[in-house]
Amino acid sequence: MSLVEINLSTENTLTPRQRIATYVSVFVIFIGIYFGYVIRESAINQTVVYSNVQAGLIASYPDGWLIDEDGDYIFRVRDMSNLGFKTVIQVQTLPVNTDVAERNLLDQLTLSRSQFLIDYNVLGYSEFTLPNEDVAIAMNYTFVSRDTSPFLEGISSVVVGLDILTIQRGQALIITLRADASIYEQALTTFNNFLSDLNY
Amino acid sequence: MSIQKKLFSIIILFWLMSGVVVQSQSTSSFDLDRLKRATVFIYQARNFADRLNITCVTTGSIVSYDGLILTNAHSVVQGSRCNGNTLIIAITVDLDEPPIPKYRAELVQVDAGLDIALLRINRELDGRLIADGTLPPLPFVQVADSSEVLIDQNITIVGYPDTGNEPVDVARGTITAFIAEPRGGNQSWFKTRATIPGAMSGGGAYNSEGELIGIPTTVPVTLSDADISCKFIEDTNRDGLINTNDQCIPIGDFISTIRPSNFAQRLIRSASLNLDVDNLTTPEIRPSPIDPPSFSRLFFSPSVVDGLPSTVVGSLPANTNSLYLFFDYRNMTPQTVYEVRVTKDGVPDPTFSLPPVRWSGGENGLWYVGSRDQPWANGIYEFSLLINGLATGTQRITIGGGATPEPTFSNIVFGLLDLQGNLLGNGYVLPSGSIATARFVFANMADNLNWTTIWYFNDGEIARAEDVWSFGASGSNVVNLRPQGGLFPGKYRLELYINNALSATSDFIVAGAQEGPLPIIFTDLAYTSADSPFEALNTPAISSFPNLVDTLYVRFNWQQIAAGTLWTVRWLVDDQLFFEQTEPWITTESGSNFLLSLTNPPDGTYTLQLIVNNLQIIETTAIVGIGQLPIDRFSEAEGVTFSGKIIDTATQIGIPNVSIILVSEDFSVGDFVWDQEQVFAIATSDRNGDFQFDRPLSLETPYSVVIEARGYLPITADGFELDNEVGNTLDIVIEMVRD
Repeated sequence: MSLVEINLSTENTLTPRQRIATYVSVFVIFIGIYFGYVIRESAINQTVVYSNVQAGLIASYPDGWLIDEDGDYIFRVRDMSNLGFKTVIQVQTLPVNTDVAERNLLDQLTLSRSQFLIDYNVLGYSEFTLPNEDVAIAMNYTFVSRDTSPFLEGISSVVVGLDILTIQRGQALIITLRADASIYEQALTTFNNFLSDLNY
Repeated sequence: MSIQKKLFSIIILFWLMSGVVVQSQSTSSFDLDRLKRATVFIYQARNFADRLNITCVTTGSIVSYDGLILTNAHSVVQGSRCNGNTLIIAITVDLDEPPIPKYRAELVQVDAGLDIALLRINRELDGRLIADGTLPPLPFVQVADSSEVLIDQNITIVGYPDTGNEPVDVARGTITAFIAEPRGGNQSWFKTRATIPGAMSGGGAYNSEGELIGIPTTVPVTLSDADISCKFIEDTNRDGLINTNDQCIPIGDFISTIRPSNFAQRLIRSASLNLDVDNLTTPEIRPSPIDPPSFSRLFFSPSVVDGLPSTVVGSLPANTNSLYLFFDYRNMTPQTVYEVRVTKDGVPDPTFSLPPVRWSGGENGLWYVGSRDQPWANGIYEFSLLINGLATGTQRITIGGGATPEPTFSNIVFGLLDLQGNLLGNGYVLPSGSIATARFVFANMADNLNWTTIWYFNDGEIARAEDVWSFGASGSNVVNLRPQGGLFPGKYRLELYINNALSATSDFIVAGAQEGPLPIIFTDLAYTSADSPFEALNTPAISSFPNLVDTLYVRFNWQQIAAGTLWTVRWLVDDQLFFEQTEPWITTESGSNFLLSLTNPPDGTYTLQLIVNNLQIIETTAIVGIGQLPIDRFSEAEGVTFSGKIIDTATQIGIPNVSIILVSEDFSVGDFVWDQEQVFAIATSDRNGDFQFDRPLSLETPYSVVIEARGYLPITADGFELDNEVGNTLDIVIEMVRD
């Protein structure tokens, strides 16, 4: 009978230099991933400053969103890269006087929009605290939208909207978010960032 | 645009251009697909209980990107035959399929007599209003100058051949003749032998450039709803059966007449500029005549001078190429349908016949129908006039043989003689006074012929003179009218007879005060602005207005115009006519502060003309803003229709809801800062990935393309330029790679 000795100890095959190189490689990879993440976040969260002296308004909106000022609003930006309803952030003003309450204005908007928007439906009203601590009134609503040419087979999208209405300096400021219902929560984050940078 | 995207754009630029696959090309400038897409089917419907019943159908053509539709009036304006109150617009989504109802429309301009209406798409199909500027730009057709149309010119007619159950169709033919009427002169109607179904009425007739030259027009005239031109397609009485007890849809017989597009130009201009003219002094609603409409005093003339017959003939020699049938009309309305049936030697002559059409003249007056510069073959022609399908007058003329030296009177003009015997005046409108003189030309006369002069005032004979001719064989002569009490304002007529046969006749108007030989009818014509019509009566005259003026007022004074005298208001902006209305004078004979208003005029130079008996009496001009109409960057219909499909490279399946942005030629991708001002057009892909730009691209113009879709690598390209070889449609496939 023979005895076989098993040696559990193993010989370390990495030299100290190799070990350091490995650590450095892992570190560089992590640094690369980190910078990639930072650059990506920077690109995603990059904003463009919009200012309108006449309206007394400065805002930052996401880079790559299409801006226009031709409508009955101060400005509107749209995320054209979105597949589906193009997320919209819009700022408009309405005249007010001492007899006009915020709720009156929202009801006027509702009556007007119900003439144009398909299945326009107000979900509810709530108080909304703006980043500067001003208290505004918020109105949530939904409607159905179709963007494509009437000559094509476009499918309608369900849109969720949010109006933030506050009366400032003798006029009502209405900040609106409209987004496809499927990405509304995601769009709300962008909208909150927009609100936090809004000066009026 | 971020740095990463810019770098990526450079790489993708080449890839995109290589990825473009031109799938269809044509080398003609005639874009039939675009014309078909710009052709809509119109339902007139009426609410009955809880549903819409179709009352009439017709074809229409979109004439501006913002949804202005040109069509016939008789199928869309509410009337006894088409009593619907809702207009549904169906468009062609698939060229091989029947149209699909998509929108509702409202009437914005109507000329019932010309049978032309302009609709504007203003609501979604469910009745919701379409907010201003939110209707996607629609394909539209360019309207041509129809005065350039020639006989034998090839034309293409586009329309829907049935009650909405057939795809848009095309008929081809040539212009075979022009029909003349007072309203539009020599080219009041185009005739064609193309086979045009009745439902195509209201559609478009196009020249070889694809421009709209006219509107195929017919009016269904049926004495019974069981006529073949009436279709029963709906159980309107809800008895469970579709039969003759239900309301039928009038279709009309085959069409051979085309209303030239120039008649529609002013209506289109007025509608596209949202110009609204109001007559604030006299109401526009007048009672319809009680007596039935009628025609009388039918006679022929070989030519027309200022809307009046040059002479009266009973026969014409061979090689005649102009012939007009004149007749008096009474109690006509724009809703009256008239028809001219011409036979040659007893055989119907379709070239010179006029199928049933709306009456485009006034209530009472002198009318003509005929043609110029077109050969009339030898034969005996019989012209039969019909009103609402019933015969009302017939006249014959023989054409052929050599010219015979018949004694004739011709070319009557009116005025006042000066001391040297010269006839002064404008020819057909004389001032109130004591005398009117008519000069006429005579030829082939012989002494001792009996000739008669008869003068009429407002259709009643007021003077007659019978005499024996003694003025030689040819030359000119004058006759005078000196009524007791002088010339009262009103309508006058002179008839000249030779041996008791009518040889020449002409009409003139007496109106206004005398200042030399010319009448002073309208005075103090001026523009002004005010907050209300009442204030406008006293505000000072203005010739230059700021660009934000709400309403332009025009006021003038008038004198000695008899009730019933036809007068015309013409309004032009930048020398382009946008309003013309001819009406009988219905206010007092003399007065002041006649008021017209024009609301929301854009910048431009506005000219108002007042016309009596086809003669311009006075005009005035004012400037608003910079004095020139604003340029509409969407108004160009010519160009290349750009469509295609966006697919996923991996799956080769269309990607829905991707927006393709075409940056205008003034900017490159590098300059593009996502500002709408820089965008030429945007298209969004449908559920199959198909996209189509509603605005045509100009040739040899370098556009840039930007496509960004979440989850895919962006695509950008500069120098996206189309040359003449592309044709009028570009269909491409764009592949996108997942990121």
